[in-house]
Amino acid sequence: MTTLTTQTKAEAILAPAHSGEEEASLLDILDHVLNAGIVLHGSLVISVAGVDLIYLGLNAILTSVETAMKHIEQHSVSS
Amino acid sequence: MKSKPRANNDPLIYLYGISAKNPEVKITGSIHGKSAVETLQDSELTAWFSRVPEKEFGENLASNMENLEWLSAASVSHQRTVSQISDAVTLLPARFGTVFNSEESLLQHMRAEKKKLSDTLTRIEGTEEWGIKLFLNPSPPASPIEAVSGRDYLRAKAMVQVKKRTELDPDVVEFARELQAIAADSAPAGKVSSGQSNLEWQASFLVRKKDRPKWDQMLKRYATRWADRREIQCTGPWPPYSFV
Repeated sequence: MTTLTTQTKAEAILAPAHSGEEEASLLDILDHVLNAGIVLHGSLVISVAGVDLIYLGLNAILTSVETAMKHIEQHSVSS
Repeated sequence: MKSKPRANNDPLIYLYGISAKNPEVKITGSIHGKSAVETLQDSELTAWFSRVPEKEFGENLASNMENLEWLSAASVSHQRTVSQISDAVTLLPARFGTVFNSEESLLQHMRAEKKKLSDTLTRIEGTEEWGIKLFLNPSPPASPIEAVSGRDYLRAKAMVQVKKRTELDPDVVEFARELQAIAADSAPAGKVSSGQSNLEWQASFLVRKKDRPKWDQMLKRYATRWADRREIQCTGPWPPYSFV
């Protein structure tokens, strides 16, 4: 079954989530909000937070289960 | 212009974005608790901001960004606020976590980059961002993997998976080209969700509001065509975060 999820408002995905959708919605927000948007350069800006590290961190968490599974598989293959 | 030395406990200016117009808008919520959303106008540009505590958004911002709980809550608040402003006016969304010492320093930046900001505002006028993701439906392999041992099975399975990841289906390439033909611009999607299971492909698009019917129609056509193979997930409209 193919579903076409067309949200009329980005806000709609912030509504209380059904099971399994909450993570994806937060991911979508982070994907659009982080590392995007205008940057005003200059010494007077205190900080434009460095998000590259955050990306790596999040990605690591989200793929950790998958990676762990593969590791187990490979381990069982080579043993 | 001389800037006043700031006292340690003065609030900081958290920037949501910059617009040309400055309409009266009722915004619910903000990046931080009870801080209101305010505007500051300088000739043809308007900045949208809130006053936020120095400790949380200055001194501790970097470490807060690494705290998933804080980051989740703050990014949702950021999105909610920016989205409401974007509904009312063409807005250049600022990068998450853009903080200034004072209104004065914010104004200096707006003046210094006025030309660039105005040009970008013209470019994004009447557009919105849409995120497209394709998920492969998990399906059993066409022919069952023949293997005499568990080890063979895992090796064969690994090969099938590798193939999936290195070659983009020509259908997807065609789909992407059709999306690009309708959209005003396209950009690679963020990397946060790149680990989602069965995610085959994703990208962000800048779509003119007047092209929405064409856009929706095209997505529906592909959704029908791919009924058994993959799911199209379309989110938006987002403020044009990826195109400024």
